[in-house]
Amino acid sequence: MNVRVTVERRLQQPRWLAVVVPFASLFVALCIAGLVLVATGHNPLSSYRRLFDAAFLSNGALDQTLIAATPLAFTGLAAAAAFRMRIFNIGAEGQLYMGAIVGSAAGFWLGGRGGASPFVIAAMIVAGALGGAAWASIPGVFRAFFGTSEILTSLMLNYVAGYILTYLIFQSESYWRQTKGFNATVFPTGKPLPSNAEWPAWTLHTQGGVALPLGAGVIVLAAAVLWVLYRRTRFGFEVQVLGDSEGAARYSGVRTRRKILAVMAISGAVAGIGGASQVGDFAHSLDGDPNGLQKQSYGYSGIVVAALARYNPFAVLLVAFLIGGLDSAGNALQGADFPSGLVGVIQGIILFTTLGGELLVRHRVRLVRRPETVTA
Amino acid sequence: MTKRKLAVAVVGLLIAATAVVLALGTSPGKAKSSSAFKVAFIYVGPHNDGGWSQAHEEGRQYVQKTLGSKVQTTYKENIAVGAQFSQTVASLAAQGYKMIFATSYGYITPQIAAKYPNILFEQATGTLVSKNVAEYFGAAEDTVYLSGMAAGAAAKCNTIGYVVAFPIPEVIRHANAFALGAQATHPGVKVKISWTNSWYDPAKEKKAAQSLKGQGACVLGQNVDSPATGQYAQSVGVPWVGYDSDASKFAPKSWLTASVYNWGKYYVKRITAGMNGTWKPGFYYGTIKDGFTKLAPYGPGVTAATKAKITAKWNYLKAHSNAEFTGPLYDQSGKLRVAKGVKMQVLKGGTNSLYGMNWLVKGVIGSPKG
Repeated sequence: MNVRVTVERRLQQPRWLAVVVPFASLFVALCIAGLVLVATGHNPLSSYRRLFDAAFLSNGALDQTLIAATPLAFTGLAAAAAFRMRIFNIGAEGQLYMGAIVGSAAGFWLGGRGGASPFVIAAMIVAGALGGAAWASIPGVFRAFFGTSEILTSLMLNYVAGYILTYLIFQSESYWRQTKGFNATVFPTGKPLPSNAEWPAWTLHTQGGVALPLGAGVIVLAAAVLWVLYRRTRFGFEVQVLGDSEGAARYSGVRTRRKILAVMAISGAVAGIGGASQVGDFAHSLDGDPNGLQKQSYGYSGIVVAALARYNPFAVLLVAFLIGGLDSAGNALQGADFPSGLVGVIQGIILFTTLGGELLVRHRVRLVRRPETVTA
Repeated sequence: MTKRKLAVAVVGLLIAATAVVLALGTSPGKAKSSSAFKVAFIYVGPHNDGGWSQAHEEGRQYVQKTLGSKVQTTYKENIAVGAQFSQTVASLAAQGYKMIFATSYGYITPQIAAKYPNILFEQATGTLVSKNVAEYFGAAEDTVYLSGMAAGAAAKCNTIGYVVAFPIPEVIRHANAFALGAQATHPGVKVKISWTNSWYDPAKEKKAAQSLKGQGACVLGQNVDSPATGQYAQSVGVPWVGYDSDASKFAPKSWLTASVYNWGKYYVKRITAGMNGTWKPGFYYGTIKDGFTKLAPYGPGVTAATKAKITAKWNYLKAHSNAEFTGPLYDQSGKLRVAKGVKMQVLKGGTNSLYGMNWLVKGVIGSPKG
């Protein structure tokens, strides 16, 4: 007798599976990573405990987790907004940089003129959104009018945006660069944001102080807006149809080009606000150091966040928080007695397994017995 | 029981079991927690990069060996400036670290220093001194000059390639010292530079080395952290001058020498002061005389005559640090920048100081702006 393993699509996706599978995947990940840890001579339990403490429990941990989670929520939401419609915007990384550049310019310009703080901050958010949307529109236009793959064009533009960012701080005496004072000549840095352009944070007095950045509030609002837009409006419906079948959408009279442009712009705008939040909430200057913002790869991690959240805007927030914790805690784990590569392996196993588990939500694995064929 | 209930029950059990095990599991680091003074080192690249970070790592190991159980040291590698640094410092603070050596510019900001007033910070290569921040570095330009002499003597053509990181005064100063040294043993030699815009990026460094070779360089040098330039140099049979660490094992045939650092002595001194409560912020600039900067052992390509010349200059620079930056010094356009007999100072003098230099000396080909 012949047994065959088949993977087939589930006709229905039971709700309970969507909850059970991620937890089971996480457990499997911890078991696999545990084997790796034991094999390399580390105690898995105390390692996990350290990871968990550093992400959520120890003094100042939540504060740092939020620093990582906020940009991930922006880029995750940017990816979710586009991927849901099968428009694969890989360019959140570059759109984030552009949002930071344009958003900080608004902060310097209006803040320097003594504008009221709420007005300056609102302007930075709008400017960041415009910067990101404009940058995303480049691959959007190419996709809508010439059918160019947005995956490649948006990806390539990330490098261009990175070079622009470095150029503004390291290779030119631009508007964004600090040119005054002795320190400015020793190493190039961004100009500090005027104080009325710094975004406020609400401090919770637990755990050695947890600062809730304004950006975290903005992203919750943005998630709600996107949810309504995609679930409750005609625009959302049409875009959904477009995502399912471009041909069907076109025959039913949906203006596909406009929709592609709009989705790219929305996605880019969300990433762009994330860039403005980097400047307003955290760095308080434009970080052009290739060993700084650009090394964090928030845009690429956002794709993982979106996939794990199944492109659901609210789930993106939760997943970004968890991945942000994992990201931040990795720094606590590595050290002289724990190679940083091993931290990457553990993080990789967790992401790989949880993403792989998604297969089981949508598909089921069955053993099919095939009766032996009778030959004459 | 339905399949669904079973699955939910199993997962619930797993979560509960994991939580219990983690809660009861050995708490991290408790076994080790003693009265040891905890010190952390932050590296911009891997701890074994064969260059800058490795030199600091050797310093850390020297500290651990010298001070023994009185200190507990660790390192954090590949740490980005900004968010990742602040996350790392927060976790170190939570684990009770008392002193942090940030070994690259840009890590420590006034905000971070103010947020952790009880941690003693030290930053390499910077200028930000405050109540709990000290800065340290050394006159590598002296030894880079000497390594440039080895490069100039080994050059059979008229062009030397120099792979450089960022267009900032530190790197410009080293490129200038290298060129002046090369010109001392090989009058009229040109030094072509290629920027990588990264401290540690083996792929970019190799590409830069390739392009310099393609532009006619017959000796390669570097002011970046990895030995990629050397590995490429050996593959094409070109002599190579390294930087930061003795990296001769990566390209033993091409290896000439390198300007290297001895951070350990400084670290022991500062950490001892930190333990005794006598630590004070300041700006330390080590020299050959301090044993802070040195020249790595020579490779096979350095002739006895060259060694003799370098030794003579070594003795002079040991007594007169930074003497290579004494006028007359001309910039790339041939304009006199530093008048005859005038010696540049470390911090004072704007663009004519070691820490403010933003122009390249005559004979360097490339832009000081990156």
